[in-house]
Amino acid sequence: MPVVTLTLNGRPTSADLPEPTLLVELLRSAAGLTGTHVGCDTSQCGACTVLLDGRAVKSCTVLALQADGRAVTTVEGLAGADGSLHPLQEAFIACHGLQCGFCTPGMIMSAAGLLADNPRPTEAEVVDALEGNLCRCTGYVNIVKAVLQGAEALREGAR
Amino acid sequence: MSAPLDVMRFGSGQSVRRIEDPALVRGAGRFTDDVNPPGQLFAAFVRSTVAHGRLKGVDTAAARAMPGVKAVFTGAELAAAGVKPIALAPAMKRPDGSPMTAAPRRALAHERVRCVGDAVALVVAASRAEAKAAADAVVVDLEELPAVVDVVRALEPGAPVVWEAAPDNVCAEARHGDPAAVQAAFERAAHRVRLHLVNQRLAPSPMEPRSVLAWMESGRLHMRLSSQMPTAVRGGLADCIPGLTVEQVRVQVGDVGGGFGMKTGIYPEDVAIGYAARALGAPVKWQAERLEDFLSAVHGRDVVTDAELALDAQGRVLALRTCSLAAVGASATTTGVLIQMLIGPWVTTGVYDIPLIDLHLTAVLTNVNATGAYRGAGRPEAVYITERLMDAAARQIGLDPAELRRRNMIRPAQMPYQNPMGQVYDVGAFEKIMDQGLALADWGGFEARRAASKARGRLRGRGLATFLEWTGGNALVEQVKVDVTADGFVELTSATMPMGQGIATSYAQLAVDVFGVPIERIRVLQGDTDRANGFGSAGSRSLFTGGAAVHVAAEKSVARGKELAADALEAPAADIEYRTGRFTVAGTDLGIGLFELAGRQPGGRFAVEDSATAGAPSWPNGCHVCEVEIDPATGVVEVVAYASVNDIGRIVNPVIVQGQIEGGAVQGIGQALCEELRYDADSGQLLSASFMDYALPHADVFRGFKTAFDTSIPCTTNLLGAKGVGELGTIGATPAVVNAVVDALSAAGHGAAALQLQMPLTAERVWRALQAPA
Repeated sequence: MPVVTLTLNGRPTSADLPEPTLLVELLRSAAGLTGTHVGCDTSQCGACTVLLDGRAVKSCTVLALQADGRAVTTVEGLAGADGSLHPLQEAFIACHGLQCGFCTPGMIMSAAGLLADNPRPTEAEVVDALEGNLCRCTGYVNIVKAVLQGAEALREGAR
Repeated sequence: MSAPLDVMRFGSGQSVRRIEDPALVRGAGRFTDDVNPPGQLFAAFVRSTVAHGRLKGVDTAAARAMPGVKAVFTGAELAAAGVKPIALAPAMKRPDGSPMTAAPRRALAHERVRCVGDAVALVVAASRAEAKAAADAVVVDLEELPAVVDVVRALEPGAPVVWEAAPDNVCAEARHGDPAAVQAAFERAAHRVRLHLVNQRLAPSPMEPRSVLAWMESGRLHMRLSSQMPTAVRGGLADCIPGLTVEQVRVQVGDVGGGFGMKTGIYPEDVAIGYAARALGAPVKWQAERLEDFLSAVHGRDVVTDAELALDAQGRVLALRTCSLAAVGASATTTGVLIQMLIGPWVTTGVYDIPLIDLHLTAVLTNVNATGAYRGAGRPEAVYITERLMDAAARQIGLDPAELRRRNMIRPAQMPYQNPMGQVYDVGAFEKIMDQGLALADWGGFEARRAASKARGRLRGRGLATFLEWTGGNALVEQVKVDVTADGFVELTSATMPMGQGIATSYAQLAVDVFGVPIERIRVLQGDTDRANGFGSAGSRSLFTGGAAVHVAAEKSVARGKELAADALEAPAADIEYRTGRFTVAGTDLGIGLFELAGRQPGGRFAVEDSATAGAPSWPNGCHVCEVEIDPATGVVEVVAYASVNDIGRIVNPVIVQGQIEGGAVQGIGQALCEELRYDADSGQLLSASFMDYALPHADVFRGFKTAFDTSIPCTTNLLGAKGVGELGTIGATPAVVNAVVDALSAAGHGAAALQLQMPLTAERVWRALQAPA
């Protein structure tokens, strides 16, 4: 079986995997990082979104082998080294941007991918960036609010 | 004295941050599929690809020889082992007076399959991939039989018979009211309004699909799953699996990734997985694929109704008559039948003083998946019918839709009010709620907005829904255990379930009210039948039943603490006072901390258990006003304004309830505009069985909600004064949105075509209505 070597949440990681293994399977099973969720089998729901070299991707649609030599960040890798929450995580709590919390890791990672490219998104740009993430609980109102608030907090933190 | 004030910031009535959230935003939730015991095996179901067929044989030899395969189970084996179908309660009757009936709901199909997706065999293997590969190798020998999908066709003579015990394909029939008196009212009526209305089949679609993990431990079957009703699952497993008693089953639930009613009760798959884990003596995990949830998790709605209203010359409703056919599936569930036959009818007359009803309902068996609870469960269907009729009547008579509703509303002086179904509303000020809703929506300013939309080439419409709903599931008792522990926590143990509604936070706030300790000191334990049992969370019941029990048990805990403190402090119990985490002897400096007191007790804790009983269901109600714009070139409908005023009695956490109303409303908008489960009428194939085909609302749906609450009318039949909130938004949104679309089309001269439209109001359907001659 091929060996995949990647940087996972900042740490070098390698795993021996059957070729068809999906990145999400590597994360959830081999790496034990269960914060990345699987909510569908057609790449629609976005609950499995992670950052691959800083870009938001659906890890159910990426082979683990494609992540070889690259950097993957999951929701578990967002908080600071001291455990302090990432501004987006803070904002989701402050804005009541989650109810059941199942879609939340994917929402936060999609938002993180957006803010990496565009630190000052408009509301329309946030909505557009979340087009590939489904939430059944919140009606999205507070999710969009949370991303905008998280963006502002990130900008202030960077100043 | 800033400490107590600080603590009370976390009591009830405050928008406290949810205690559930820190773990969930870190990805540290504990959903069922996140739990992986050593030696865990993986299960995959083989499912029927046809809607109706005779099972001649299931050849598992090739599958058993595949790598990693531990076992393959078939329906014949399970039946031979005595595994029973999930029981259908004789809750309603068939037309001939016999008990309601439906095809057996088996863990694995035996002899017949009656729906695409019926589980036929179960493969257990060392890995998920091996289980799936082996499932593909199971050979199912089927003789395909004619299927019936459409409810009207199913009732015609000569239609294929779904289940022999019901040769007419009728599962159950109900007739509520006084048909003769209603007929007389229609004959003397000044106005009669008639509509044909379809409440289409929906997929509840919690983002976490069903997931089950079962294993044996100390001779008992342990099951961890995503469920709103662990106690019902425990009972169902013991009912179905031979040689298993309730005491030999433990059901545990961690985080639940959304329920919406879909995760109530036991599923055939739960029985199959439990059986397999016991047979193999190893942990067996099944994680439903989304396709499997579309095929075999319960669906919602699916009722076709002919509805009529008789009104006098002044617009007073004289009588309401409906004739409904509900498609409850082949292997129907008790809940799915009751929702349409009884629960919906309880609220059909809603906030109106309608003297006479004739509601005729038939639950029809067809070769489709079973229906069950989905957010609102019967009330959205009923309220949609009534609110569509009210708008149609107003248009026909030439009255403002709000004015017509006003003339028919039940007055506060009529409370308690018994509706024609015998349901008693304790309180309600419906006209007051409507007036606030109209003000919030700027009802009077609509024509100017319509003109502005027209200037931009858009057709604007306005829709109103004034309604109430029944909450509580008629399961009105709830028990809570309160433990005060030496390590500094107040533990609340409840059989109600978290599923995103923030119930743990609301309970913690109610406990803070009584104990006066910081909210970080409250721990809420749920989802373990070895610790607590009850009805679970459904029907918007948890807060007003379980929350009341939290209050009662917390007060009893403090009273118990006073007795223990009296012993510890060697003072008479009557002299002990309690405040913010400390017991003191009145008029002295003597005292002991709450948690220190727990440390002095055997086991380092003291516990009390108590229950609360609500006297009746609660009747939350609201006025929802929606405005839409239609692009006449494309037929695309856009929600552009949505205002609601809601009476949910006392509020424990304002942010949580607002999230319930708005998130719920988006589900209602989904039914109105985009969602539909559609079976092919001939083959019975489910055509919308993925999120590519089943259109859930996305982030662009609508964000401009104006949501308000009137807390001045508390419920009088429960201790908290709270009314259930979880389903209100979903119930109100669907009719408000559709009424708005009909209004926009009518104003553009397409009223006749608009009345023919059925949900979902997709761009294509609306565009076609616009092409009809004006």
